[in-house]
Amino acid sequence: MIPADPALGVDLALPAVRAVPDLALPTLKAVPVQSGTSFFDGLGQFLQPETLVSVFVEGLAKSAIYVMIAAGLSLIFGLMGVLNFAHGTLTMIGAYLAGIVMVVLVGGATGQWGRILAFFGALVVVFVLVGGFGSLVEVGLIRRLYDRPPIAQILLTFGVALVLEEAARIVVLFYGLQPTSEWQEALGTKPAVLATRHSLGPLSIRGLALFEILLGVLTVVGIWAFLTRTRYGLFIRAGSEDAEMAQALGIDVRRVFTVVFALGAGIAGVAGAVLMWDQIWGANVPLAAETLLPAFVVVIIGGLGTFRGTVVGALIVGMVDAVTTWWFINVVTWTWLPDVAVFLILVGMLILRPQGLYGVEEVGGH
Amino acid sequence: MVVLALVAYPGFYHLLTNSPISAEAVALLPKMPTMIALLYFGLFAMSFDFISGYTGYLSFGHAAFYGTGAYFVILVANGKIPLLPPGTPFMVSLLLAGILAALLALGIGLVSFRLSGVYFAMITLGFSQVMYVFIRGWDYVASNPRDGPTVGSTHSEGFEIGVPYVDQLNLAIGSFSGEEVALFGHTLGTYTTSFYMVGFVVLVSYFALQRIVHSPFGRVMVAIRDNEERAEAVGYNTLVYKLGAFVISGFFGGIAGGLFAGYARSVTPENTFYFLTAGDALLASIIGGFGTLAGPLYGHLFDETIREFLSNAGLGGGLLPYLQQRLGEGVLGTEIFGGLTVEGLITAALNGHAALYVGIVFVLFVLYLPDGILGTLREWLGGPVSKRVPELLRGWR
Repeated sequence: MIPADPALGVDLALPAVRAVPDLALPTLKAVPVQSGTSFFDGLGQFLQPETLVSVFVEGLAKSAIYVMIAAGLSLIFGLMGVLNFAHGTLTMIGAYLAGIVMVVLVGGATGQWGRILAFFGALVVVFVLVGGFGSLVEVGLIRRLYDRPPIAQILLTFGVALVLEEAARIVVLFYGLQPTSEWQEALGTKPAVLATRHSLGPLSIRGLALFEILLGVLTVVGIWAFLTRTRYGLFIRAGSEDAEMAQALGIDVRRVFTVVFALGAGIAGVAGAVLMWDQIWGANVPLAAETLLPAFVVVIIGGLGTFRGTVVGALIVGMVDAVTTWWFINVVTWTWLPDVAVFLILVGMLILRPQGLYGVEEVGGH
Repeated sequence: MVVLALVAYPGFYHLLTNSPISAEAVALLPKMPTMIALLYFGLFAMSFDFISGYTGYLSFGHAAFYGTGAYFVILVANGKIPLLPPGTPFMVSLLLAGILAALLALGIGLVSFRLSGVYFAMITLGFSQVMYVFIRGWDYVASNPRDGPTVGSTHSEGFEIGVPYVDQLNLAIGSFSGEEVALFGHTLGTYTTSFYMVGFVVLVSYFALQRIVHSPFGRVMVAIRDNEERAEAVGYNTLVYKLGAFVISGFFGGIAGGLFAGYARSVTPENTFYFLTAGDALLASIIGGFGTLAGPLYGHLFDETIREFLSNAGLGGGLLPYLQQRLGEGVLGTEIFGGLTVEGLITAALNGHAALYVGIVFVLFVLYLPDGILGTLREWLGGPVSKRVPELLRGWR
């Protein structure tokens, strides 16, 4: 088994013996090390400044991942009222596509910065390909269903997810890979800077965590700037406020819908590309369900259809995940703690404030 | 009619598989174990359709009730439930499993029916995932909760369906633990016996659901689906009706889960509580006919038939074994391109990948036949199939 790191995050430099593939919400695939610690000892340990800060950084990294997974879903629902069940599948496809690009581009001799450069190249490729695919799905399939009840769209995207997932499984198996375990070759293209821990004063922080936080911030800033600073963003906001009025004012709402769907799909793909390098997630077929469910949780907590809500929701879920993961590794032995905690926030939120933190009641109330 | 066809199926299957076209029959027709799965899962799909198709509230977390029923039956048999000894008759624990699932539905429903549309689907999904994650980690239910519980030595005999405490009126189900019955000189194997006994419970449940759907209560359910505000304006307390429908649906979902556990004797979190279990019921309902009670059964039959047709060799009838028998190495070994043989193509692209094709069919149904097989047929005939077909036949005379 993987030797569990006493601090957070089990991030080994290179493929070691794999833990058992995990089907539900991915958390750390680690074995609890100290199970005898009492609650108060645990609390004392937890409240030490170094622990708090490192849990906070881990939480930020998780939040960054969650916001990337959920942003596209939130955009699409906010404008079109379509709850895209194929979102996780697009993320999974993005992870494999990025893996292909990296494995082709990166050789053993490629330097660290070359690898990071290649990764950003892969991000662009994935964004364009998955986004393009998304626009095809919108034009070819979803467009036919706008005047049917919203459940029809759930059903359609659910079907699309099934088809894509099985198709991905066929392709992956055909090239002799295990669909249920991470693609190790793609993981191996990670540069050493990101694979190791870095010490900042008394802290030791995963390089990848910092990288993920950076990408998460870039995603959020990018989407925010697009929505509020560009003309097309204005169209999108107008369309989600009142599609008919926007149409009356001469905005081609149908095209806006296509663009938003492509954009959301592209972001899903990019999120997958980031997950490809993460030991905890990795490129594999079950990634589709593993990312879809937390994305729903994040979007619902924040309020369906508000981008600000999605960012806050991702922060909440990321922090809760990091804290409960720390407790589960260091103090208690309940393996289910992080997963259940995340879903309990969801249920609690839906009971107390069904429209989410920043949600407006009308959205989704069809 | 459906009932008769299903009753005759085992004999029909036996006859065909021993006839000159046996190879084709084995390849095309579902096997007996599949037919049993069709029955209990069909009941689950019906219970799902009862709430989702009739009231329009998509219960995406329906797997919670199926899982509750399945786990309860096995836990009773393992003596893990206080006050219920391992020897509790299966019919009693099955009923209790249904009641437990109904109570769960009451709890979930009280919270969830404050929401509608997409939100309702999400909150029920949330509840079922909480239960899924929890049951996967709870080591009280099984020594290895990830793999799920198995019926242990405390209940080594088969689960019996019949009148409790009257031994003559009971027959055990299960592939190994079931009973064989001699009838009119024929011996019915364990599968056939299980098929009839499970079918019996499913039939009773189906009639009960059918009765409810055609009662005034069922009318109100449809009214809620078509226009909830109007139903409320007319004076119905829609919350009570929705809750009632959800509880009934949960009850039969639990019964279906209990039947599954009783037949299979071991369950895993993935095939009970996981949200894709409800996804399968959704597939069955949409293909068969959303908002028709018998539709999900046909939908699931379709799903299972394709899955079995494209299953791997060694798992019984299927495409590849049939082709291997009939065509021989020469054709199968033919290269299509780049070293890929016909057999290789079938193994890579067809076998075990039925989900792809069922998914495509599902998407086509959502797009072009939103009423499903049965719904479209009814529209086409102008009424329920069982009523219209005899009338049309009479017209032809």
